[in-house]
Amino acid sequence: MKGEPNYTDAFEELQTIVTEIEQGEISVDELSEKVKRASYLIRICKTKLHSTEEDVNKILKDLDSSNIPQSGLDV
Amino acid sequence: MPELLEGKRIFTLLEVSQGIQQTIARKFPEAYWIKAELNKLGFYAQSGHCFPELVEKRDGRIIARLDGLIWKTDYQNINRNFKKVLGDELKDGIKILFLARVEYMPEFGLKLRIVDIDPGFTLGDFEKERQETIKRLQQEGIFNINKSLEFPLLPKRIAIISDRDSRGYQDFMNVIEAARETWRYNFFHMLFTASLQGEKALATIPQQLDRILKVRQHFDLVAIIRGGGGELTFACYNNYELSKKIATYPLPVVTGIGHVTNMTVVDMVAHESAITPTKLAEFFIQKFHNFSVPVNEAGDIIRNQSGRLLSEVKSKFESEIKLFRSVTANLLSRNRNTLRENMHIIRKDSLTHLRQQILHLNQNISQIKSGLKVVMKARKTELAGIEKNIENMNPKNVMKRGYSITLLNGKSLTKSADLKKGDKLQTILYDGNVLSTVNTTSKKKEQ
Repeated sequence: MKGEPNYTDAFEELQTIVTEIEQGEISVDELSEKVKRASYLIRICKTKLHSTEEDVNKILKDLDSSNIPQSGLDV
Repeated sequence: MPELLEGKRIFTLLEVSQGIQQTIARKFPEAYWIKAELNKLGFYAQSGHCFPELVEKRDGRIIARLDGLIWKTDYQNINRNFKKVLGDELKDGIKILFLARVEYMPEFGLKLRIVDIDPGFTLGDFEKERQETIKRLQQEGIFNINKSLEFPLLPKRIAIISDRDSRGYQDFMNVIEAARETWRYNFFHMLFTASLQGEKALATIPQQLDRILKVRQHFDLVAIIRGGGGELTFACYNNYELSKKIATYPLPVVTGIGHVTNMTVVDMVAHESAITPTKLAEFFIQKFHNFSVPVNEAGDIIRNQSGRLLSEVKSKFESEIKLFRSVTANLLSRNRNTLRENMHIIRKDSLTHLRQQILHLNQNISQIKSGLKVVMKARKTELAGIEKNIENMNPKNVMKRGYSITLLNGKSLTKSADLKKGDKLQTILYDGNVLSTVNTTSKKKEQ
């Protein structure tokens, strides 16, 4: 897989690995690789839970570029 | 009475007013049930009276307008009744059925003096609008569009349409903040302020929805949040235009508008709806739990399962080693035993064999020995014979018997032909030599 998966993909892939390992479908040869991948996916998912990348200033800038009048509202 | 001035009959305003008053009183002697829209309630807190503006609209245009009047005590009774039936006070912008007297008062002009309002009519009107909106959206096939949008697995970027000062917004934010502190769930939320009731809501909510659309890539969904309130304040959420806007909105819309009885159409067409803003916030947190719990469990499961897998493999490996060890030990000991037995057998057999060989050898030796003796004896006898012969042949012994050897010039003489007269001969006898000279020779005749 290329690049960092989004959290939905990460979540789904993680579930797949969990199912595989729960059903004993993983061999010792694959184990190390799968565990490494799983911990990477867990990290991505947890980051999504605990952090946010959205930038209010960017959104405000995007809103300002609009033609819709602001009409004295909060945002 | 009118006064006369320069031939003109002149009335005072009061006289005209009183005339109108009498006419109207005669024409409208009793109270009538009238239906109209309460455009403005016109409540004056100081006096406690209301001066409502009543209108009738057709196709959105006002086709009749009359001012009303509700005296303080009437207003109090009406409002109490309204609260009981609708859970809300009398408000602007609702349709009412009221009992009123047409009164003309010289000091106030023409007023509809409202003595009673039927809250059931207003309620029915809301319900009618609600049903009509539902029917229309269903007929247009747009009722379920928002519901059919894919809901984000983790609804973390929320565009909130609400009012900072509303209790609903505060309730919602309290739960979200608590989640941040308790579970470190980090929501991204941004407030898009709108009015939450009445005509203003119908104007500002769609306006904010349009603004959010411009920055939709920053948001997972839109949440419309407002606190509780009576039935009347929900009227706008049954509005066709607003409901349609939400039903066809491209981002999932969720509502927490704190309704008491029936769901509004906006709730119905929204992707999700919660009874209160608090419940809505809890819904979001549940979504985070639904995501977080399997993620956390995944770590445990993978840790446990891979540990188990490894220990299984290890114990399998160990038992293989044990088996291998015991098999090889068995094999070794079996071989060792066999070897020992073979050694024993070999030792025993070889000893016997050796003994036999020795015996055999000894026999041979004794045979050889006895054979040798015989041979030796034979040889000895033979030798003795030979010795005797040899002895017999010794010239000395021969000479003893009378034979002699004649030498010519140191060499033994055998042929008479070799001699000539005068040759000196040496003759060797058994016990001495004789020197002689040749006179004649003769050759022995052939026989």
